Amino acid sequence: MKNNLFYKIFATYIIIILLSVVVIGFQTTRQIKARLLEQIETDLTTYAGMIDLAYTRGDIKNKLDQLAKIADARITVIDATGTVLIDSEAKVSEMDNHLNRTEIQEARIKGKGASKRYSHTLQIDTLYVALPIREGSDIKGYIRLARPLLEVRNSIRQFNWIIFQSILLLGALSFIIAFIFSARLVSPIQEMEQFTQKLRDGEISGTLLIDSSDEVGRLARNINFMMTELREKVQFANEEKGKLEAAFASMTDAVLVLDSQGRIEALNKSFKSIFGVRRRNILGRTPLEAFRNIELQNALEDYKETGKPVSREISLGAVNGSILDVNISSIQGLPKGEEKTMIVFHDVTQLKKLEKMRVDFVANVSHEIKTPLTAILGFIETLQDGAIEEEETARKFLQTIGKHAERLNRLVDDLLELSDIELGETRLFFESVSVSGILESVLSMIEPKASNKALTIEKDMPDDLSPIIADRDKLNQILLNVLDNAVKFTPESESISIAAFDDSEGYVVVEIKDTGIGIPKDEIPRLGERFYRVDKTRSRELGGTGLGLSIVKHLMIAHNGKIEIASQLGIGTTVSLYFPVYKGEDTG
Amino acid sequence: MEERGHTSRSYERALQDIKENLLYLGGLTEKAIQNAMKSLLDRNSELAREVIEADAVINRLDEEIEGKCIDAIALRQPVARDLRFLTTAIKINAHLERIGDMAVNIAEKAIPLNEEPQLKPYIDLPRMSDIAQKMIKKSLDALVGENCELADEVIKEDEIVDSLNDQIFRELLTFMLEDPRTIHRAILIMQISKNLERISDHATSIAILVIYLVTGKNVRHQNREKKSQKIC
Repeated sequence: MKNNLFYKIFATYIIIILLSVVVIGFQTTRQIKARLLEQIETDLTTYAGMIDLAYTRGDIKNKLDQLAKIADARITVIDATGTVLIDSEAKVSEMDNHLNRTEIQEARIKGKGASKRYSHTLQIDTLYVALPIREGSDIKGYIRLARPLLEVRNSIRQFNWIIFQSILLLGALSFIIAFIFSARLVSPIQEMEQFTQKLRDGEISGTLLIDSSDEVGRLARNINFMMTELREKVQFANEEKGKLEAAFASMTDAVLVLDSQGRIEALNKSFKSIFGVRRRNILGRTPLEAFRNIELQNALEDYKETGKPVSREISLGAVNGSILDVNISSIQGLPKGEEKTMIVFHDVTQLKKLEKMRVDFVANVSHEIKTPLTAILGFIETLQDGAIEEEETARKFLQTIGKHAERLNRLVDDLLELSDIELGETRLFFESVSVSGILESVLSMIEPKASNKALTIEKDMPDDLSPIIADRDKLNQILLNVLDNAVKFTPESESISIAAFDDSEGYVVVEIKDTGIGIPKDEIPRLGERFYRVDKTRSRELGGTGLGLSIVKHLMIAHNGKIEIASQLGIGTTVSLYFPVYKGEDTG
Repeated sequence: MEERGHTSRSYERALQDIKENLLYLGGLTEKAIQNAMKSLLDRNSELAREVIEADAVINRLDEEIEGKCIDAIALRQPVARDLRFLTTAIKINAHLERIGDMAVNIAEKAIPLNEEPQLKPYIDLPRMSDIAQKMIKKSLDALVGENCELADEVIKEDEIVDSLNDQIFRELLTFMLEDPRTIHRAILIMQISKNLERISDHATSIAILVIYLVTGKNVRHQNREKKSQKIC
């Protein structure tokens, strides 16, 4: 039987119907046959009884044939010993002893006997009925009637034929009815089966259109209801997933997810860029295989051992590599045996750099402040110890104290100034300024120092120099700082030259050349750092705060200009200042 | 490596364990070279000393790995691929340990160099070390991914390092001829350069071993001309 509901139901119907028909037909046939037989038996018994009467009245030999015709049976008379006395059809002499025939025996015992036998002579079933001939209480013989059951046979045959026809007709009818009925029963179930098959394939839209009010209909409605709920849940889940994916992808921190085997399951864009790897190269690999970062590996080992979240700093490759803050933890809510690990990297390189710069700065400042303070305190102590009595010494000391105090003052001023500039708190008032004018005033300020060292200052400034965009005061400061340095580091009797010109890129360049001690090439980039000094002792002696060039650098940036320093040890230094040319109305 | 069908899971794990240890050793040596060069370029002798000390870890791991490989060969009597893997693992192991020693040499030379003014800005040395480090990384990546092409690239890059070494030698020669006071520093720098060149040779050897592992072909003694042919 096919594994098919329709066929099961259909076949069941057919079988039931056919079985019923066959059984009924069979039963009916049997009953009819039995009734007919009964009837014939009764018939024969009646005739036998009558013939018995006739026999006892005289000789029925002559009337035997007529009697046989009337009874429509074969008449046989036998005596008490079984010898056949008369027979309406066969020759008596050729017949054997009938005493042991069933019907005779039955008649002897019960008073009437009947039996059905297949007669070989006639080739048909024959019914035999026998009655005993009594004389008083003795049996003198038997009368036996026999009728071939032709009638019965024919009737049964006819009946069977009718039944067969009925079966055919019923069969055809029931086939059609059963088919239709089964189809109608099974169809909604098939529809539901297809629907759920589509569900399995992922298709969750659609509704069942079954409307019957029986269990099937209710089942369909339940399914539809569940579908709606499912759709809502799926949509919700997709939304949440979408949000998480967006967050994951756009995080600036690098994230790595390891599966329960320690293999890389997921990574985000930041990870790819920070570590410089490609997704397809590292998915499915362990971190050790993908990129061999020993510090990360050690952190992972620690995490595996303790099972507790691990947080530490690691450095990434290269000579000037990044420093990352790593956090390793497990992802919650997963079944045992499927634990996943999440590793988050936070780039703290900048932070570390700034920290270092801050630490360095504080160290430097403390040192810078400490030095003059120590000197001042030293002198004061000496005075207190008695040097104050000697006027000459005392005066000298006080002078020195004053110088140091002044230096401290300048230092604090410079620091504040630098901080202001860097924070952008200094308001610069930009206007059109003539470089030559400012230079003149700066030169006059420097003059005393320069002539003290017998330095010659050469000027080279064209009259048609373009005006620049600058803050007057700050420009003054810039030029003063640079010239001050030049004067400071140039040996006695040598020269400093100042030149200014328009370059072809929209700047006015002010070049200050000295023949001083020069600066080593690899120290030049560091000149703009606060407190950076090439030769520390010398600079301090000359009264420098160490902040001069730092201030210049930041001021130049604020002016949208730039500063270049070229130098050769023992030969001299050239400082080039680029100032943007003033172009009409915009003082940006 | 791809999924293998070993009947024994502990065999599988043993092989995986050896591979992981090898990669870890690779990472240690990569770091050692990095730090050794950093100690020179940043003039940080403290770091140099750390590199020298850390070599003990590398040596220990080297012994461990070798022991594990030999155990595996003795116990499992491997054939074909597994046998190739274990024998090449022993060799790669040895090369990595030698690279670690080279890093120590560099660190040792960095200390005296740091105590004197820098002879000249280091330009070629960092370039050499960069390439050498990349070669090591690439050869280990080739091992992980069983990537023959990657290994081939490493072999070709060896020439670049060799020529940089020659370049440095010539340049330092001119320094030394000009001014005898530079001889000490120049020689130290040359030794560092030589060490870097040897590092890249070891990386090349590792790449050759990877090719053998993947293809079964031994390209160890190909002469220069054949080097341009495709191997994979």
